[in-house]
Amino acid sequence: MDSVTIDTTKIKPAKKKPETALEKLNDTGLINTLLAAREREGMILFSTVDQFINWGRFSSLWPVTSGLACCAIEMMAVTMAHHDLARFGMEAFRASPRQADLMFVAGTVTKRMAPRVKQLYEMMAEPKWVISIGSCANTGGPYIESYSVLKGVDNIIPVDVYVPGCPPRPEAWLYGIIQLREKIKSQGYGAKWGLNK
Amino acid sequence: MNAAEELKQAMPAAVVSTGMLIDKPLAIIKKEEILKAAGKVKEMGFDNLSVITGIDYRDRFEVIYNFFSYKKKENLVLKVVLDHEAPSVDSVASIWKVADWLERETYDLVGIKFTGHPNLVRILLPDGWNGHPLRKDYDMETEQFVTMGEDGEDIVSTDGSNLLRRR
Repeated sequence: MDSVTIDTTKIKPAKKKPETALEKLNDTGLINTLLAAREREGMILFSTVDQFINWGRFSSLWPVTSGLACCAIEMMAVTMAHHDLARFGMEAFRASPRQADLMFVAGTVTKRMAPRVKQLYEMMAEPKWVISIGSCANTGGPYIESYSVLKGVDNIIPVDVYVPGCPPRPEAWLYGIIQLREKIKSQGYGAKWGLNK
Repeated sequence: MNAAEELKQAMPAAVVSTGMLIDKPLAIIKKEEILKAAGKVKEMGFDNLSVITGIDYRDRFEVIYNFFSYKKKENLVLKVVLDHEAPSVDSVASIWKVADWLERETYDLVGIKFTGHPNLVRILLPDGWNGHPLRKDYDMETEQFVTMGEDGEDIVSTDGSNLLRRR
């Protein structure tokens, strides 16, 4: 059998490595802030601080340890080494809602569990975000016509990101987390004034 | 001879008829005799009461007891037919300890009274829930909500304004 040789010189990298100072600045995204701030004099302080705070917030989201049904089993798969939630700085699942700023509503929200979920959300300190995982938490799913299941967790608490699936694959779960990170990036005073675009 | 026919031979007055239910021996028992029959089943070597179910047939209720023997690897199904107005049957919790929770579940969801049960209260739904959901005439139109009281106890009401978000 002939051995296959691959000419590595013909393979182009997907993204060009930044070399000049301007390219490096562009790669971090800060250049947009600087350009926007130059148009509005004096607001560079807010925009940069916002960007810094948002960077801190989305880089260390700490979820609260709470699972309601089978989606919580998938949550364990997401945190394990293969899918590795730790690369988002999220591996610290807190046992207390007072130390957490993200809640995964992972599973079926029954009528009896609903006030507990609401209380858990209310115990979390601001800023806080909620990701609704799976069909049950989104709409009620297969239990939509049940007597004992809430028709969507957004009936009791505000939800930032919905992840469909029954249960969602860990890849879908990670995509939902990336969407939330994008959302957090656009929050803050600078975003309100149109600076962090 | 399967286990149901053995039971009929041992106590002919209690067994109405025998047959098969999904490849399992079935014996329909008079409802006054279920306590004796459950004791006899235990003597016959059955050591596990897997599940108790209740079915609403609109004109009657049926309570079904599924037994299994780990020694003989055999199944046995007992069935009791109850009237639809006031379904009640003797509890077998004095003989089979596991029947305590299984009968509470059947009471909770189907609403069958087990007389002589040590603690016949709801097990899945909170106290104060209106109706038994697995009955055919259960009212699905009025939605019931659960809220928490001061001490964490469940309060059932049709008013969900404390729980639901204002939009």
